[in-house]
Amino acid sequence: MLKIRNFSYGYLICLLAFIYVPIFVMMAMGFNESSDYELPFRFSLIWYQQLAGNDVLWRAGSNSVVLAVASTMVATVIGTMAALAMARHRMRGHAILQILLFPPMAVPWLILATSMLIFFYYSGIGRGLHAMLLAHVALSLPYVIIVVGARLQSFGADLEDASATLGANPWQTFSRVTLPVIAPGVAAAGLFAFGISFDQFVTSYFLAPPGVTTLPVEIYASIRKGFTPEINAISTIIIVGSMLLLAIVSKFYQFGGSK
Amino acid sequence: MKLKREWIGYGLTVPAFVWLCITVVLPLMMMFYFSFMSRMPIGNAAATFSLKQYASFFQRDFYRFLTWRSIMLGVHVTFFCVLIGYPAALVLARAVKGRWRDAILLLVVLPFWSNALIRIFAWTMVLRTDGLMDQALHFLLPGAPSIGVLYSYPAVVIGLVHSFVPYMILTCYVSLQAIDDSLIEAGQSLGGSGLTVFRRIILPLSLPGLLVGVVLIFIPVVGSFMEPRILGGREGIMLGTVIEDQFTEVFNWPLGAALSFILLGVVAIIFAAAYPLLKNRLKVA
Amino acid sequence: MSSVDIRQVTKTYGDVHALDKVSLTFAEGEFFGLLGPSGSGKTTLLRSIAGFVNPTGGQILVDGTDISHIPTHKRDIGMVFQNYALFPHMAVFDNIAYPLAVRRVASAEINLRVNKILELVQLGGYGSRRPRELSGGQQQRVALARALVSRPRVLLLDEPLGALDKNLRQQMQIELRQIQREVGITTILVTHDQEEALTLSDRIAIFRKGEVVQVGRPDDVYENPRDAFAAEFFGSTNFLKGKSLGKQGVLGAVELSDGTRILTSYALPSSGSPITLTVRPEKVLIQGEGQAVTDQGTSLNVLSATVIQPVYMGASVTYQLSTSPADFSVFQQNREAKRFEAGASVKISWLPQHTVVLDA
Repeated sequence: MLKIRNFSYGYLICLLAFIYVPIFVMMAMGFNESSDYELPFRFSLIWYQQLAGNDVLWRAGSNSVVLAVASTMVATVIGTMAALAMARHRMRGHAILQILLFPPMAVPWLILATSMLIFFYYSGIGRGLHAMLLAHVALSLPYVIIVVGARLQSFGADLEDASATLGANPWQTFSRVTLPVIAPGVAAAGLFAFGISFDQFVTSYFLAPPGVTTLPVEIYASIRKGFTPEINAISTIIIVGSMLLLAIVSKFYQFGGSK
Repeated sequence: MKLKREWIGYGLTVPAFVWLCITVVLPLMMMFYFSFMSRMPIGNAAATFSLKQYASFFQRDFYRFLTWRSIMLGVHVTFFCVLIGYPAALVLARAVKGRWRDAILLLVVLPFWSNALIRIFAWTMVLRTDGLMDQALHFLLPGAPSIGVLYSYPAVVIGLVHSFVPYMILTCYVSLQAIDDSLIEAGQSLGGSGLTVFRRIILPLSLPGLLVGVVLIFIPVVGSFMEPRILGGREGIMLGTVIEDQFTEVFNWPLGAALSFILLGVVAIIFAAAYPLLKNRLKVA
Repeated sequence: MSSVDIRQVTKTYGDVHALDKVSLTFAEGEFFGLLGPSGSGKTTLLRSIAGFVNPTGGQILVDGTDISHIPTHKRDIGMVFQNYALFPHMAVFDNIAYPLAVRRVASAEINLRVNKILELVQLGGYGSRRPRELSGGQQQRVALARALVSRPRVLLLDEPLGALDKNLRQQMQIELRQIQREVGITTILVTHDQEEALTLSDRIAIFRKGEVVQVGRPDDVYENPRDAFAAEFFGSTNFLKGKSLGKQGVLGAVELSDGTRILTSYALPSSGSPITLTVRPEKVLIQGEGQAVTDQGTSLNVLSATVIQPVYMGASVTYQLSTSPADFSVFQQNREAKRFEAGASVKISWLPQHTVVLDA
């Protein structure tokens, strides 16, 4: 038995190494003086200094944040509404919506993005941050509806029925019972939505007009143009930031889906 | 009262419904329409209905070769994700307990949360000639030839497996940890060896999670273009990168649209073919 | 305190009649049990009264007013759910205060009333606990207190004790009944547990396939079941089939398939019509073969029987017997020293007033 246990832990350590080594290498290179990642390693903050002066990246970064915040709010609100309707008001039309939730998950994002490019271009919606917002929300919606829906499902309708028998009108029931009870699910869904938007490269890439970029689009452009350690610096900031955020959140929200 | 409730039910779904129509339904319909155009409708150059775009797929070996490549990429990446991810999920769900389990699970999920593009980019520094892998090898074996694999097919597979293996671990973990211990004990008490219990009880019961993982990985990998570009270079030409080119370089949207629907069609055919085989097995869960 | 009148209430789901023209009257302050197997319509009726189910036809009147079209939250009811449905994000105090808070009662009065009812359900001092920190019985009391605190007109109980273990359930039955008497509220209980219905209810209604089979006081329904379903669902029983011989003197006589004659004090249909009789196991006396049958002599029903199996249950023994007309089960208090072994020949006897004639 002991042998199996040792083997298990050994295997997990190898797995974590596989997952983390490239990330650590990239982070380290952001502090290496050589622009061609030459060794020996010489510590330097030069790339962070250059990053501080890189207006294009900063503008892309602020676009990403604004977009992610807006997309999170919209996706969480309309996704929660839809999840509520689907969980508590059973009706025929919902089957159609349920089918519509599949494409954002089951069709490669490349195809969704290019089809949106065609449609937006010819329908007059055009490209730009608003088009990206449309796309980001669409890709987040299924996740929000699934996560919030699971939470609603796990409580059933009894709590709301009880609230009604106790004299609460539908609005009181929603604000005093339903919303507080599903709040952890809504928060998790919001986090999902934020992550999907902030990391979103594919749709942003196709829907960005010249001169308007987000961080992932800008990073992709830089990588294709040639390596630049500034990208390591900004990537390090993004990775550390998002991991910290998730680590903090996971303190409050259990992953396994337990209450 | 009943009527009012019904209206609330519809009203709540209207925004999501409209949103998905504008971003998914109408675009896909328009793309389908576009795939039958003879040329890009720009200015006063008129486009006519034509099967030309689809015909080119059948006339030119190049596209069929790329489609095959993309499918094989999906198969390879999915295979390695199962190979690496399933045992990890099994170990996490059945051998590791308590705080360690939560901690490792969190560690697996953490990078998955950070930007996919950045993680692919990070691999370039490990895999390139004189990159970390080479340095490590030369440190151990001075004078060994370079094993830098950047800009090759294996590099693309490594990067994609790295990106997608957490999906597999999570979906398998969820279905593995849901298996009641008593079922496994019952299997053992009935005289099943470790391998038999695994094959007859654990594997069938965790199959739904495994299959969800396969679907979640196979589809995006088949349609990937960023990862093959960054890690594969010229070796990374896939159907996805060619579709990307039609929209960003060549501006032949009708061809891009047709290739997109061919890709969708091939994926649909694969899953449709696999469905009857899996249908009965999935009923267990 | 209110009366509730159910008039011809029907609920159909597609072709299925969940309720088929059910009419019942619940009197003021009455504790009324709705009893039946699952799918019999008892829960559908309760949920119709609560307003969760819209009946397809009929009327539900509370104090003479039709409430069919009033939404649940305006019906002024209290309800205890099977899983209690306590709000997990609120402390016990806030759970109980909820019906008062949504009615915008002043907070001083809320304090007063919640604390008073916490005392009533013996949970004084538990106000700041979370529901999940309480035992099943305590949660049940919180649910009851929450349902009663706004002094509703009707209290609905949906299998309220189903989630508790047996000992606790019996204790809670007594408490529930006491509290209900103290408050004096019209109470409607749904249960599939006959013992629970028996202990708690002033009257009961037995449901089957969306229809009411029998209504009455529990003892009356038990002693005089109307048909085989009511007899069997409410306690265990023995059935005998035969045909009526009509009145013979003061008693009626029935001839069973093997020719045995059974006497009954119940009214019989006309001579010759087929008939089903039932005898409760505890009404039957079991004696050894040789023992003299010692009762009012002539009008006693006596059968010879063979013990198939005695089932020893501590306070009592239930014998599975075979007699020439049918298998029989007989209940005996564990008072006599003598117990019969399997295979023993015995004599069983019962009084004509315990031979119940059932509706065909």
